[in-house]
Amino acid sequence: MTGPGPFPDVARVDARDKVRGMTPYGADNHPPNLAHAMLVTAQIGKGRLVKVDTDAARAVAGVQLVLTHQDTEGLKADGYLFANGRSFQSVQPMIGTAIAYRGQPIALVVADSLEAAIEGAEQVSAEYVTAPFSVTLDSEGTEILAQADLPLPKPAFADKNVGDADAALAAAPVTVDAVYDSAPQHQNPIELIATVASWDGDELTVYESTQHVEGIRQGLAFELGISPDKVRVISPFCGGSFGQKNAMHAQTVLVALAARTLGRPVKLVVPRSQLFHNTSFRPPTRHRVRLGADRAGKIVAAVHEIDQQTSRHDLFPSMATDTSARLHGIPNFRSRERLRRTDVQTPGFMRAPWEHAAAFAFESAIDELAYALDRDPVELRLANELPYDVVTGKPFSSRHLSECLRRGAELFGWARRRMAPRSMRETDGTLVGWGVATGAYPSVISPSIAQLRVTDDGGIVLNVGVQEMGQGARNAVAAAVADVLKVRADQVTTLLGDTKGPPPHLTAGSWGTATAVPAARQAAIDMREALRKLQPEASNGATPAGILRHAKRPFLEVEARHQAPGAPDAVFDRMKQGLLAYVGPEFPEFVSFSFIAHFVEVHVEPATCRVRVPRVVTVADCGRVVSPRTAASQLRGGVVWGIGGALREASEVDPRYGGFLNADLAEYLVPVNADIGDIQVDFVDKPDPMLNNAGVKGLGEVANVGPAAAVANAVYHATGRRVRHLPIRIEDLL
Amino acid sequence: MRSFAYARPLTVMAAVQALADASPHARIIAGGTTLYDLMKLNIEAPQALVDVSRLGELTTFDTSGTRELVFGAMARMSDIAADRTLQTDYPALAESLWLAASPQVRNMATVGGNLLQRTRCAYFRGGAPYPCNKRQPGSGCAAIGGLDRSHAILGTSTSCVAVYPGDWAVALAAFDAQLDTVSPRGERTIPIDELHREPGETPHLETILKPDELIVRIRVPVTVAGRASTYHKIRDRASYAFALASAAVALRVDGDTVREARIALGGVATRPWRARDAERALMGGALTEGSARAAGELAFTAARTGQYNRFKVELGARTIAEALMIAKGRAKTS
Repeated sequence: MTGPGPFPDVARVDARDKVRGMTPYGADNHPPNLAHAMLVTAQIGKGRLVKVDTDAARAVAGVQLVLTHQDTEGLKADGYLFANGRSFQSVQPMIGTAIAYRGQPIALVVADSLEAAIEGAEQVSAEYVTAPFSVTLDSEGTEILAQADLPLPKPAFADKNVGDADAALAAAPVTVDAVYDSAPQHQNPIELIATVASWDGDELTVYESTQHVEGIRQGLAFELGISPDKVRVISPFCGGSFGQKNAMHAQTVLVALAARTLGRPVKLVVPRSQLFHNTSFRPPTRHRVRLGADRAGKIVAAVHEIDQQTSRHDLFPSMATDTSARLHGIPNFRSRERLRRTDVQTPGFMRAPWEHAAAFAFESAIDELAYALDRDPVELRLANELPYDVVTGKPFSSRHLSECLRRGAELFGWARRRMAPRSMRETDGTLVGWGVATGAYPSVISPSIAQLRVTDDGGIVLNVGVQEMGQGARNAVAAAVADVLKVRADQVTTLLGDTKGPPPHLTAGSWGTATAVPAARQAAIDMREALRKLQPEASNGATPAGILRHAKRPFLEVEARHQAPGAPDAVFDRMKQGLLAYVGPEFPEFVSFSFIAHFVEVHVEPATCRVRVPRVVTVADCGRVVSPRTAASQLRGGVVWGIGGALREASEVDPRYGGFLNADLAEYLVPVNADIGDIQVDFVDKPDPMLNNAGVKGLGEVANVGPAAAVANAVYHATGRRVRHLPIRIEDLL
Repeated sequence: MRSFAYARPLTVMAAVQALADASPHARIIAGGTTLYDLMKLNIEAPQALVDVSRLGELTTFDTSGTRELVFGAMARMSDIAADRTLQTDYPALAESLWLAASPQVRNMATVGGNLLQRTRCAYFRGGAPYPCNKRQPGSGCAAIGGLDRSHAILGTSTSCVAVYPGDWAVALAAFDAQLDTVSPRGERTIPIDELHREPGETPHLETILKPDELIVRIRVPVTVAGRASTYHKIRDRASYAFALASAAVALRVDGDTVREARIALGGVATRPWRARDAERALMGGALTEGSARAAGELAFTAARTGQYNRFKVELGARTIAEALMIAKGRAKTS
């Protein structure tokens, strides 16, 4: 099984609509008689509502409805994503009076116009009883839990203990022992979270922006106490998501309830300042990494200990060491992951949710080890590759990290690097630093169903359960079908993101391509066979439509299913319930990861210490590249985000108040164009021979694993300053 | 919807009269890049807006004069930044505009309105529950003892540490610009150095302008020091960010000897901040890396730092020193 391809580099199938502004997003839907809503949020860090005064709000001209906790009788919380629910957290605001965190919604104001809704929301006042709260890893009142002792599935959430890491570390002649911190971050896609809900009798239609229409359908039906058959959720495009929209948010059911109460459609677009408190975010983490090596540069032991923030009400587990244990072939590996409970909304998934910070820590430590050994950091990594997974003893389905490193080093010109810090300068005194880091990300697969229909007028329509959030899912599935049927990708119509289609999986965790493409490819193969049966003598150049016309058949339909190797059929039932249904990265016969290597050049101004990143080279091993155009775009995006995470991005927390202070895009600093130099990306593009019929692994997340470490390592090389926290800012280098 | 009265007069006198009629609850709206933002945040809730965008007489500017440069208050930031004479003869002024905000904002914002941009202090902009003496006099200051990385270290008080966010006013301060204003009481001229107040006990009072007083033009005395000038802005990203520290520097040198030094600071003070002690220290001496560094340090001897902004003392000193050397380089080539 070596799969198809290589694939041509063709434009996005949706490019033309996107540049013309024609792509329909959730909040673009304006049903007749639409009412507009605005949330009111809690201004205390924790406590209880005593009274919500809505009189002034109701008096505002145009305000039609104000919902509070007193209007939600019968509403049930659906539950947390990681606890067999479909919501981003277990707390459903406005059920009851408890305030778990600052920014939690306490009222929804609905009016004839958005302006009236905003004014009404400003008129709502509340009285509270306050309670003490803690919002940082180190605050008094933060509760520290050992993850291994928690009621989370084992062995997935057990500590890892391979060989005897502590003994090997104690005996190692060269060691590194360092602590690394990462700041909280918010995903901040440009498209805000939004809901447009309308009822037709007892049938509810919801337009959203989501990575999981089925999760919202099932979760919403549960919360409202109605049959999922009565709910349709539509999200054909998502204007960026990055993990933020992978589960149901608080506003969806409240908007649906308001629409039912008013008997007219209601729309809510959550403003960005509120979004910082009403979606998940990347929690802050602390990593202690210990490495031991022999003098020849063989890494013999690693201990990776992590503290990660979670909320008081949910356990967002850490899965970081699943990946750090596989970055290099280290025979003795021990991990310990702890959660720190604080009074925030439940943190969650943001592109490379655990791996971004874990790779920053681990790959910084590897760089520190390279300097302790006086070994080139690329060479050190190449010398510590193993062909099998030390955690399970199984082979990797494919592992081309060495090729990523070698090709990246060549493209970058790494051979010209001088090892010593502060040894490379521009003529004006600018310090030059070259840094490298690697990354990995688990390959997991969800179940998928693809329906393919060809018609005698030339139509080729693929209906497959996957969400398009800008990453290029439509391109990938269209390319997979086009490759088999020998047509162009833009001849394939892709229908996705509608619960009326085949049940869609939650598209997340970099499993979208490896989940949907094999199903789409299988459907196309089945279609090709069906067409061949219709006209066995057809020439190679015969089109599907030509064969149908020849056979006097108006259309032909096939359905194909795909699931992970070794996955039980029950995964389809879980998927149909809108629950997590992925399997991997440990499969019966192998372990599967994507790999990546990043090479970064930084320039540090000698006096004011501003850091520039003039160029980056990144080479990825994601198996077969099905959609080269969008894959390259994803890689560049991941690198840009890595640069942002390394040098700028942080959600600021004032422990006296709770919540997040810099809750807008002017103060939450992401890179601007002027911050980004040349980014050269390349792919190994070798099909994975074991994971699926298309040879594809994941890409979106691994792109963001390691670039921050490569920047930090380059900053060290430039300045001699080892900064062990993110982001690295001017004050760290002065 | 909150309603407010709106007037769009066609002459300066009509504008001033409209302001006086609605005073003290009126706000002047020019490019709208600050005021609309603050109105959306519910930080500003004016009962009346006087839109001065139709005062065509205020949109012109002239950089060819032999005694002074004249900028109409309603001239756009982007238009002035693109002026070739300014770029050559007063790079600090041009750069302070180019390095501000984004192209979209510069295309809207006026050079008069820009002087009055309000602070970006997150506690000021965040509204309740944060106490803020600037937003709500007497309520306290959340920034003191809070997340004060971006806050001021010069000109602060126990009531307020909010930083003045602008760039243009800082560059104008270095050149001793003057503002002409009109009110029902007539015209007056205000030295730029007197426009902004330090917060003291009244941080809600940010300038000496009266509610019915309109800035109509900005005048900058011609000086040869303009050529040897720079606006050096250090920030967290390469564009679209406020200064952590900035320095507008202009020099007149005779051989190696400094005959005139002008230094104004942004990003570190509660108002555009003229560093006169540092200027005096440079006068009559040779400008070297050492003397530049010493001048930079001198500018911050009165600094009062908080929890997270201590680095601004060192960054500010380095920014001044580097700006001085950039200006010196321009003196040589001019």
